Amino acid sequence: MMRWYHSLTLRLLLLFWALLLAVAASGFLLAMWSANPETPRPLPAEVRDILSPLLTDQATFASLTPGRLLAGEYRVAAAVTPEEGPNRLQLEPNLANTHRRELMQQLDAEEPEKLRLPNGMLVGPFTLGNQRILLIRPLSNEERLDFQQHVEEAEHAQTLVLLFGSLFIAVLLGVWLVLPLKRLTKATREIAAGADFLHLKRLPKRSDELGELARALETAAHDLKVSRDAQRRLLSDVSHELRSPLARMQVALMLSQDDHDDATNSHLQQLSRDVERLSTIIERILSLSRLENGLVKLNPQTIDTYQLVQTLVADLAYVDANYGERLLVLDANWPVTASDEELLRLVIENLVRNALQYTAGLVELDCAVHDDKTFTIIVRDHGDGVPEQQLEQLFEPFFRGDPSRHHKSGVGLGMTLSLRAANVIGGVVSARNHPEGGLEISIRLPLNTPTQDDEQIEVRGS
Amino acid sequence: MTKLLLVDDDAELSSMLEQILTKEGYQLTLAADGETGLHRALSGSYDLILLDVMLPGIDGFQLLQRLRQQLRNTPVLMLTARGDDDDRVKGLELGADDYLPKPFNPRELVARVKALLRRTPNTSVTPEPVEYAGFHVNPLQNEVRVDDQVLELTPTEFDILRTLVQGKGQVVSKDQLSVAALGRQLAPFDRSLDVHISNIRKKIAHNPERIQTVRGRGYRLLQLA
Repeated sequence: MMRWYHSLTLRLLLLFWALLLAVAASGFLLAMWSANPETPRPLPAEVRDILSPLLTDQATFASLTPGRLLAGEYRVAAAVTPEEGPNRLQLEPNLANTHRRELMQQLDAEEPEKLRLPNGMLVGPFTLGNQRILLIRPLSNEERLDFQQHVEEAEHAQTLVLLFGSLFIAVLLGVWLVLPLKRLTKATREIAAGADFLHLKRLPKRSDELGELARALETAAHDLKVSRDAQRRLLSDVSHELRSPLARMQVALMLSQDDHDDATNSHLQQLSRDVERLSTIIERILSLSRLENGLVKLNPQTIDTYQLVQTLVADLAYVDANYGERLLVLDANWPVTASDEELLRLVIENLVRNALQYTAGLVELDCAVHDDKTFTIIVRDHGDGVPEQQLEQLFEPFFRGDPSRHHKSGVGLGMTLSLRAANVIGGVVSARNHPEGGLEISIRLPLNTPTQDDEQIEVRGS
Repeated sequence: MTKLLLVDDDAELSSMLEQILTKEGYQLTLAADGETGLHRALSGSYDLILLDVMLPGIDGFQLLQRLRQQLRNTPVLMLTARGDDDDRVKGLELGADDYLPKPFNPRELVARVKALLRRTPNTSVTPEPVEYAGFHVNPLQNEVRVDDQVLELTPTEFDILRTLVQGKGQVVSKDQLSVAALGRQLAPFDRSLDVHISNIRKKIAHNPERIQTVRGRGYRLLQLA
């Protein structure tokens, strides 16, 4: 159960708040630092020597009130008079507004010092009896430039600190927020690919919404695995339950055959053929279901495609001599690739059988390698082709271009099986009418480099 | 009389098969579950065992595995009703000699049984030991040594290897091997021989690739350098 303080929203809110505060605080500190950078320095002796003679006379000293010009550019900034009362402390009004604190501090200093302010150089205190005064003069050009430079440097430093500070926080946010998102995306892909263990590392242990999502994903992956296993078991059971009665029927048919007359025997043979046909349909449907539900375990191995089609043609010729005469494997650049041999054979076999069943002429098998990555196997017949609008439907289960040939032909799942099996091994099947007549089916497949450890040698066309 | 054992939980099918096989002149014993099947197979002396995969108790694969630990030489024909092609081949990998997917044509079953039985006496055709590429075949003792280690082979694997060794490095076609080992021509779309060869390779510790596939032609043994 997630507690309110584990909420990602709250954490994000707090994080951004903290970020804002940190930036604001650093800005504030920098501003303070650049606004109050000066410390009082001892007053050079020569300045004291110049000013001291003017400040020895008691009467003159008493008459020095803030604002009054003393000598050169020095004017009085503040004075402390001996009389008690509200007027004892006198400050120059402008300075009193902007730099009261500095004035007060400086009045209490032990020795005369100088302190740079943005609008002048404060000097003092000078004491005579129990009177004290502070003087101020405008900054010289040199001092002003120096001051401006100082301010600029402070601004640069401020910018830099803010830049790197925010960068650091952004990186922190990325690691904290974006990295888990990436990992979750990857895990989702893993689920799609059929994995039942996800590489989420410590993510499911997180207490916020991201952790919750990670845990939900893990559960989903596990549930999917359970359901896949159940499906596999169901298919296996269905297969067994359907085949057992068929097996009994077949044996029973054979047992009944011997003792009957010819007419009955021909009926029984028809029954026997239908039993075989039924078992073929069941087998096809189960294969299709396995392919569509991702229950097929791929077993990639090195395949010489030329050898594969040659063997296929030989097998088909063995089944029906007529098939053998009609099949023609063209002398093309048949590649060696790595794929699942059973599935590739299934793809080609069903397309070839289909072509042999639905047409009467030659069936050509051709191949073209496009680049380093793909190749196409082409199965072309010399029949009437298929109306353009039916080309798409060709791969739908139980679709037949010509309903009248229903009985003679196969079970109507071969093309669908081919398409699905091709998809499973990364291929695409497409159909078109050849410009010179006949249907042409292309299987576009990825060309994979065979692995090194294959010890088999290739001896072509013996 | 030739004695067969049929292990199948389908009582109706079993009794019909009994009629057919009895008519062919075989004496058939039935077992309806894995335990009984294993017990009968190990206690009686049968010339051939017909084994269904889906069985109550111990299933056909487990039964086969246990059977092969003690009884290497009796041929086993698997009757599979499971859907996966993988399942069909799995029987061969565990030491079955041949398989027939359900539903099967009963005539095909009789033909397979005859083929496997016909093959068995063939072992004594060349009683003198032969040797090639590190393999030492002693037909009298039904024993193959490779690099002086005894290989645990099923009868079918033994016959395949014997035929290859007798070939002395020549290419032996798949059909020749199939006739010698399974007693029949290789059927189209039949992978069983390849599975047997791959099983033999798995049992050879060093250089299993000395049994070489010659694509489109067959197999041969390579003399080690």
